[in-house]
Amino acid sequence: MKPLLNLPLLACLISAPTLSAEPVATVPLYSDPLLELDIDESENRYQFERSSLRALNVQDPIEGVNRRIYRFNAQFDRYVYLPVVRTYAWATPRPVRAGVSNVFNNLGEIPNLGNSLLQGKFKRSGQTTARLLFNSIFGLAGIFDVAGKMGLPRQKEDFGQTLGVWGVPPGPYLVLPFLGPSSLRDGTGRTADWVLEDYVNYMHSRDVMNDYQATWGIWAIDLRYQTPFRYGALDSPFEYDQVRYLYTKLREFEVDN
Amino acid sequence: MLRFPGIRALCTALLACLPLSVQAEPYAYPVSNPFMATVAGTPERLQATVPPEVDVQQADLKVRVLPERHLPPALSQYRDLHYRVAWHDNPAPLIFLIAGTGSGYDSSRMDYLKRLFWQAGMHVIVLSSPTNHDFIAAASRSGMPGIAADDARDLHTAMSMALAKARNELDLEITSYRLAGFSLGALHAAFVAELDEHLGQFDFQRVLLLNPPVDLYASVRRLDALSYTRIAGVSDNDSFYEHIFQKLSRHFASRGNSDIQASLFEEIQSSPQALTDAELAMLIGAVFRFAAADLNFMSDLINGGGRYAPADERLKVSTSLTPYLRRALFCDFSCYVETQLLPAWQSRNADGDLQQMAEQTSLRHLSAFLHDNATVAVVSNASELILTRDDYHFLAQTFGERAFLYPSGGHGGNLDYAPVARRYLQFLQGGSQ
Repeated sequence: MKPLLNLPLLACLISAPTLSAEPVATVPLYSDPLLELDIDESENRYQFERSSLRALNVQDPIEGVNRRIYRFNAQFDRYVYLPVVRTYAWATPRPVRAGVSNVFNNLGEIPNLGNSLLQGKFKRSGQTTARLLFNSIFGLAGIFDVAGKMGLPRQKEDFGQTLGVWGVPPGPYLVLPFLGPSSLRDGTGRTADWVLEDYVNYMHSRDVMNDYQATWGIWAIDLRYQTPFRYGALDSPFEYDQVRYLYTKLREFEVDN
Repeated sequence: MLRFPGIRALCTALLACLPLSVQAEPYAYPVSNPFMATVAGTPERLQATVPPEVDVQQADLKVRVLPERHLPPALSQYRDLHYRVAWHDNPAPLIFLIAGTGSGYDSSRMDYLKRLFWQAGMHVIVLSSPTNHDFIAAASRSGMPGIAADDARDLHTAMSMALAKARNELDLEITSYRLAGFSLGALHAAFVAELDEHLGQFDFQRVLLLNPPVDLYASVRRLDALSYTRIAGVSDNDSFYEHIFQKLSRHFASRGNSDIQASLFEEIQSSPQALTDAELAMLIGAVFRFAAADLNFMSDLINGGGRYAPADERLKVSTSLTPYLRRALFCDFSCYVETQLLPAWQSRNADGDLQQMAEQTSLRHLSAFLHDNATVAVVSNASELILTRDDYHFLAQTFGERAFLYPSGGHGGNLDYAPVARRYLQFLQGGSQ
């Protein structure tokens, strides 16, 4: 038995020299990626500093209050909001969650449509109208995003963007309780969109939600479920500053497009 | 009956040679540009598949490592060291995973590796890099990371405490220990493994170094240099970020909407607005510079240096940290080494110079340990941004057949490429379970 059991050891011993010799021979050839770059070697090389310092210039007159709310939101997110969302994701199958998101997104097409019209984006308004009708009727009150599958993507437009298109500057940066980064213009826009949804009361959605108040809870959970942002994801003690800049830039984009 | 052991022996022999066949798996990594690979990683269809986050049994835990440390209210959320545990209900090996420079336990790369290891049947504990602001505040005794031996001691302590807590709260049953780290975390893993040899606590069965630097300070100089890349179209009065955003904006305008999707980057790179190598290099450099600013600020604050935030000022939750960031931005990683790390080290090593300090935080310092230890392997690339030619050859020579070196992939861009992942997973799963 013994010699036979030693066979694998022997086999490996025999092949060992070729084993160790081969990889060394096949070490891929080193190439220095930095060689092709034009690295500034001068004394006054401040491209990074100049760009970053400018990015920190955001109008933020009530920064102290904003920072407190930001911290509150982060704590709320960590200890309340995300655990609830995680439980929701754990307790429901994916198609159900997708259906819930679709229903609320479908209701959100009302402000999308209103604002597309107000910005004079008529092609987009037509697409959003088509989405609203297809999804409400064939998608069974929005549970299925049939229009999306037909190649009509959702086009988000809010009243903050509309104001931006009309030339209203963002104004002071604001951090809203629970909702996060915003600005005076965008915060106002949110309120307007909210009033619009209330006024239109599409498919009696607001009445239904007010009658069954638990639906507001589901709405709030879905809102977070659909938002990928995570506090702490930027891995910096200066997260507030970085988020402030990124939010401002993101809104500039959305207004421009 | 005598035949059976023969067949068994043959099977064992075949199994023993299995790593060879894995090694022979063709390497067809499609991203030849090292900057692209570093930023974008592997195209999704070629990635090693991992389960979705929600399907992983995991929890975030915290431990108070340094009870005597005082932090101002603005940074009070870093009093405890937070970390992530993914676990199985059955007995399994446990792997510690250490993040890279300025990266936390919850970064997306760590989450990917965590899922990969968890899927392979291991419990996983993920820790922030000792250079990350949370670790500096919560678990770095000196508050000044960058000396490998000190960092390794801090990590070893943090690992023991994190493990004890996880065992208690989650009823982990552990059969053996493994260790892995990415980038600077890989250098840390090597030093932790060596330290543990003396302490004999974990007795790591496998240690995996993913894209480590060899000489940390040399790597840091290379990364610093990226942030000084000259870019066509950006003059001395322009902002680099605005330049990038304008490209994005033009892309969105031609596309007709501004929805940001996961595939955005791939999409832009195949459009007329594709980012150039210089721009990608600058982006990588900028990310690294922000990590350096965080590190500078936190170390100085913990040590009461007063360079950025006045030592006597109490930083409240409402205090604007922006002015301090403005100052810290100017100090790159090499500047941190020269202004904070070296003076502190010299106060302990009176006649020492930068070169000696650098040697002590280099893998070369551990070359005998790494050369002789069959339980340690390294993964790196010929186009690795953080390695010089000498560093690269050091890895090849020191690790021999335990160096998994690939022709392309930049800094860790191919770690999620299926054939690469299979190879290092196979290595990790060897040894006694």
